[in-house]
Amino acid sequence: MDSNKKYWKGLEELNKTPEFVEKNKNEFAEPIPIEEVLSGSGLSAKTPRRDFLKALGFGVGAVTLAACQKVPVHKSIPYLIKPEEVTPGVANYYSSTYEGQAILVKTREGRPIKVEGNPNDVFAKGGLSAQAQASVLDLYDVNRTKDPKIDGSDAAWPEVDAFVLRELAAIAAGGKGIRIVTSTIHSPSTLAVIADFVAKYPTAKHINYDAVSYTGIIQANQNSFGKAALPHYNFDKAEVIVSFGADFLGSWISPEEFTRQYVSNRNSKSLESKKMSRHIQFEAGMSLTGTNADNRYPIKPSEEGVALLSLYNAVAGTSLAGSKKLSNKAIDNAITLAAKELVAAKGKALVVAGSNDVATQTLVNAINSLLGSYGSTIDLDNPSKQFAGNDQDFVAFVNELTRGEVGAVLFLNANPAYDYFKAKDFTDALKKVRLKISFSDHDDETALLSNVIAPNHHYLESWGDANAVEGYYTVVQPTINPVYNTRQAEQSLLVWSESPVKDYYTYVRNTWDKGLLAKGGLSGQKGWEELLQKGMIKTAPLAAGTYTFGHELNAVAQTILDHSASLVSGDNFELQVYQSVAMGDGKRANNPWLQELPDPVSKVTWDNFAAMSLSDIKKLGYEEGDVIKIEANGYSVEVPVLAQPGQAQGTISVAVGYGRVSAGPVGNNVGKNAFPFYSFRNGTLQTTAVITKFGKTGIISPLAQTQTHHSYEGRSVIREASFTAYKKNPAAGSGNEGEHKDYNKTSLWDDHDRPVYDWVMAIDLNACTGCGACVVACSAENNIPVVGKDEVKRRREMHWIRIDRYYSFNDHGNSEEAVTKEKEIAKLTNFDNVSVVHQPMLCQHCDHAPCETVCPVLATVHSSEGLNQMAYNRCIGTRYCANNCPYKVRRFNWFNYWNDSRFDNYLNNEHTQLVLNPDVTTRFRGVMEKCSMCVQRIQAGKLKAKMEKRPLKDGEIKVACQQTCSANAIVFGNRNDKNSEVYKALQSERTYYVLEELNVQPGIGYQVKVRNLSELEA
Amino acid sequence: MASHSESIIREPLITGTNITYGQITDDVLRPVENMPGKAWWIGFTVASLGATLWVVAISYTFWFGIGAWGLNKTVGWAWDITGFVWWVGIGHAGTLISAVLLLFRQNWRNSINRSAEAMTIFAVICAATYIGAHMGRPWMAVYSLPLPNQYGSLWVNWNSPLIWDVFAISTYFSVSLVFWYTGLLPDIATIRDRATGLRRRIYSVLSFGWTGSVKTWQRFETVSLILAGISTPLVLSVHTIVSMDFATSLEPGWHTTIFPPYFVAGAIFSGFAMVQTLLLVARKVLGLENYITMFHIESMNKIILLTGSIVGVAYLTELFIAFYSQAEYEQYAFMNRISGPYWWAYWSMMTCNVITPQLFWFKKIRTNIPLAWTLSIVVNIGMWFERFVIIVTSLHRDYIPSSWAMFYPTWVDVSIFIGSIGLFFTMFLLFIRVLPSVAMAEVKLILKSSSEQAKRKILENGHVEPAEAEFYIGSLGKFDSVEQSSYEKV
Repeated sequence: MDSNKKYWKGLEELNKTPEFVEKNKNEFAEPIPIEEVLSGSGLSAKTPRRDFLKALGFGVGAVTLAACQKVPVHKSIPYLIKPEEVTPGVANYYSSTYEGQAILVKTREGRPIKVEGNPNDVFAKGGLSAQAQASVLDLYDVNRTKDPKIDGSDAAWPEVDAFVLRELAAIAAGGKGIRIVTSTIHSPSTLAVIADFVAKYPTAKHINYDAVSYTGIIQANQNSFGKAALPHYNFDKAEVIVSFGADFLGSWISPEEFTRQYVSNRNSKSLESKKMSRHIQFEAGMSLTGTNADNRYPIKPSEEGVALLSLYNAVAGTSLAGSKKLSNKAIDNAITLAAKELVAAKGKALVVAGSNDVATQTLVNAINSLLGSYGSTIDLDNPSKQFAGNDQDFVAFVNELTRGEVGAVLFLNANPAYDYFKAKDFTDALKKVRLKISFSDHDDETALLSNVIAPNHHYLESWGDANAVEGYYTVVQPTINPVYNTRQAEQSLLVWSESPVKDYYTYVRNTWDKGLLAKGGLSGQKGWEELLQKGMIKTAPLAAGTYTFGHELNAVAQTILDHSASLVSGDNFELQVYQSVAMGDGKRANNPWLQELPDPVSKVTWDNFAAMSLSDIKKLGYEEGDVIKIEANGYSVEVPVLAQPGQAQGTISVAVGYGRVSAGPVGNNVGKNAFPFYSFRNGTLQTTAVITKFGKTGIISPLAQTQTHHSYEGRSVIREASFTAYKKNPAAGSGNEGEHKDYNKTSLWDDHDRPVYDWVMAIDLNACTGCGACVVACSAENNIPVVGKDEVKRRREMHWIRIDRYYSFNDHGNSEEAVTKEKEIAKLTNFDNVSVVHQPMLCQHCDHAPCETVCPVLATVHSSEGLNQMAYNRCIGTRYCANNCPYKVRRFNWFNYWNDSRFDNYLNNEHTQLVLNPDVTTRFRGVMEKCSMCVQRIQAGKLKAKMEKRPLKDGEIKVACQQTCSANAIVFGNRNDKNSEVYKALQSERTYYVLEELNVQPGIGYQVKVRNLSELEA
Repeated sequence: MASHSESIIREPLITGTNITYGQITDDVLRPVENMPGKAWWIGFTVASLGATLWVVAISYTFWFGIGAWGLNKTVGWAWDITGFVWWVGIGHAGTLISAVLLLFRQNWRNSINRSAEAMTIFAVICAATYIGAHMGRPWMAVYSLPLPNQYGSLWVNWNSPLIWDVFAISTYFSVSLVFWYTGLLPDIATIRDRATGLRRRIYSVLSFGWTGSVKTWQRFETVSLILAGISTPLVLSVHTIVSMDFATSLEPGWHTTIFPPYFVAGAIFSGFAMVQTLLLVARKVLGLENYITMFHIESMNKIILLTGSIVGVAYLTELFIAFYSQAEYEQYAFMNRISGPYWWAYWSMMTCNVITPQLFWFKKIRTNIPLAWTLSIVVNIGMWFERFVIIVTSLHRDYIPSSWAMFYPTWVDVSIFIGSIGLFFTMFLLFIRVLPSVAMAEVKLILKSSSEQAKRKILENGHVEPAEAEFYIGSLGKFDSVEQSSYEKV
């Protein structure tokens, strides 16, 4: 419908005036005053609009540009020619060897970042010690000797070679002796190189020198069976183990191997077949092994010989001349009972002693022989070659030095200026030597006294091989080019013996081509390559023969009694010197991971100490941390006191491996040197002594302990059962004896979805020995900072996994129940009957995580795979999550530990930072962190399976703590997979969850600790 | 408000003879319009030295990290959150006085509300600094606000009591500030009207163009009432939410339903103690005895007595519930408070908060200014210990004995706390120099009805029951600002 309406805008339009018509012709009815504005005052006004906008625009632009300060750009240079085997972001693994143990070295972009066990290793089958885990950090130690030195100043290798060759020639011509002092070498190639050297210089001689030696055992075997060898022990074949001070799980001969063997008779699998070995320990100080014993009795060093004699008498049914009853009735009974159990388990029994005394070890041999241990639990035909040092040889060597018969000494991995018991005698005598050469990669105590330092490669830079036990050959291959201007010691020896083989790699190849490859059924280049891939060959073991002891014992008994008597001097305390699990003999003192690893028993870091019994401390009125001066064998040290439950009364234990003065900035002056407490007696170095004097100095030096409360207060955090109870009901002690309570029946929350994976863990308290290897493995894997002694003292260690160690006491007279509460313990008078339990504690990845609900910014959230995750970038550091964590496993970055000059003992330099795992970010200060269940490994594993278009296999992903555990105490996996190992482990009747009553739904199940207590005992 | 004659038996809220509106203005503005005296300078010097210490200690913390404090893996909060809760609690008295007492038409609040509100604001500022300072990464504090961002749906965690805290504290601060400033407007206008030159210009800007017209006054009254209505729930909610930081966690000793009322009572308790601490000194130094009278002092002491008793009952209830629950960890937490390594903190708390305030049952003590001041300090100490006990003794020994640890403060912890007190007093001392510390307009409101002189006039006029007159005169005995003898003639 058309509209005819017409609208008009004004009367002019309606009337159509001529003016209107005229104007309406143009687009604009009135002219726009553009010209006027452009030429007039519009633009030249005081602050014209345009000028203002221009100025504004320029101003903002200029300020913006000025604010764009150049961000420092680190140009990463890609491979110009990419090595075929290196893909950035993908790790390569190389097989190698750590102290005779086959390992795998994980490298990223050409740098080794982690050492992992080789699953085919005969010792620990993939397990690795804390020290092995920590060894990778030594590679990046900026305090290594960077260049060869002559008389303390840097020199070039040709100069060194010329100098050494000249000197050696002169010395050889003069007929003076040349001595190569090394810690035990079992590498066939190295031994051959040394033999070549000796052939070139006929006055040369090789001396094996171990700071902590096993001469006693070797010599005793010589005396007893005519076989000077360190036997290979089979703890897995032993049903009853009696140990006199042998810390075979912590520091004795081959702890990782023994841990694996020992646990195989005590773990879930063994328990399910209703079998568990029995382990009785007699010792002075509380060792890691002692903490795992079913029954442990504190005895003084002076009582050890008597106790062994009693045991012999009880086993043999005879009475050796001079043997007497132990003064302590309880221990006497225990010996009798132990003898009964040993005899009952004949052929499956094992007695070991930690003593380095020949007579003591001879007696032990006699007992083992009676028990039929040879051929079963002790194998003398496939002996261990891990320790070949002979104390007597070294003492003779020092005498030679004193007499001035030696013209040259070469030190390889030996540091007698620190660890020889009479270091002063040694260093004085060394002055008479014309040429002193050290191969040390640090300017250590001995290197400082040498004319020539020819720094050796780190083992991760070296070629080589090892033969730690008869028939087991492993290969060492380099995983990185030498970082510094160092040269492998063997190479130096080759040069100096003017060998026709110019480089050590060829030499190693020759050694293997000539015989070793054939032992593994390999040959040629292909065989060599296969060896490099597998890392080892293992020949069939020789049949272990049985040995009958045929040595006259009465003289032995007399020697033992004399020795025991020499340790008793009125009411004087007795001293026991031992190796700590973390520090060992002190060679790795400059390794901050090891210094910060809490001692498995005392939980002390960064120090050694005088361990005393609680009763003695009470009696003497000491407090923990009081520095006391201990004098024995004419030497004295000042160390702080530690109250050690289970320490034999009247004894003090001090660890060796501390008190280095030239280890490097990390290890220098940490603790005090206890090696000089050794004494040389009957051809061996003795680790016990009479304390002639000790007392308070008035100084107080608090120990940096990661745990200061040692009883579990009767809480259900720890659950244990006796083996007897377990056999009756496998659920004994787990709290699920009746029905398993479902705390989640009435939950406020919806459960998280875990559609495919539900990552959980099972930890067997009966398998865990508490050694702490997992702690270091976790540090290496997850870039966990080292914080130093002061920060540990402030309770700020950063370890994501810790081993909680609790003591409980058995007050036999009064109650059957173990005493676990602080207040009741304070009332006890007898602290001898200690039980210990180790509990690895890490983030439990609760399904109802209390940390997640309280984080204001959602920095910690739950994944769809059951993980509790941290988003470091989101964290603002309120620490509420840590407060609300009932397990107290969250760790806060109080400072910038990796980039703060006050924390100089770890990553505070670009070189050491190369050890960082690039898959794990480092954390800034103010950020919370905690166990991620190695989420980077989970991701890598899933990715690998995806790329190979297959489902993920159970056990394919191993988290770092699990991987290094020789005891296999930790099982990790997917709970949604009903066939997974972890699912099965969690179905065990022994499984309980720590603090499950809070209904936080923890993802880590623990299995009850079982103690095989004596059934013969009342 | 009240223009009618008040009952004679009520005690006067303003004492003194010949008090006029002009006199009130003169008295109150004396410190604002004159150069400060020696006492102020000494106080200000000490306080600003404290504030400087705070700046140093806070800067040290920011530079090096929270590690400068004595915290550890087990005790993640200690002096920081203790200080935070302490300051927030102190703030509560101001809001209670200004809002709740206004709604309940408690006219005696008129003389003290200004200072009390100022105290609230400064206390909340001190508390807020602790929130910022205790963060590991304070420069990321913005993450705690629900701001739109580029990370998809990344939001704050509404389950976390700390987020509730963010809202509680920021609301509290902004409402308190608005309420305080609104009340200040007529008084600022008074200063403006008496000032000259630059001062006049400044105060005229600050007075928001107050004209003093009837309409303005009417709106002023309405706004005050509305703001009082808004503030009243805050008195309860803020400390309730602060208490939920603890109550919603699962720490033994924190996980307690009694916390909200217990915390609110404690907050008012400590707040009144702090008002007392400040005003007892201020009235003397500023010569405000006629406006802040013994009646005020005694009333506040009664509130301290009441809230102190509530807090005491709460402590005992906690102990009983721990016993009654038979919950292992809960029982241990309380046993540990009483007899553990921090027993001295628990017993300091008990003594200062429960036992000594009971002395206020005695009128002699309630009306004794030095004693009342001393006890107010004791209460402040006790309330600090209460928070320390709750936070540190619960955390340091919770579920897993291996992690039990002790907390030892560092010099930085101590300096920040002492410094925050310095900061508080610096702000307060500046406040009394530039703004009227008594709400003049509101005091003038009650001059005709509730002042001593008004009552005297009633007495002089006769028509009063002699018994009532005697009672009234008798009640004046406690006033240090009244010559009781002058009533002999009446």
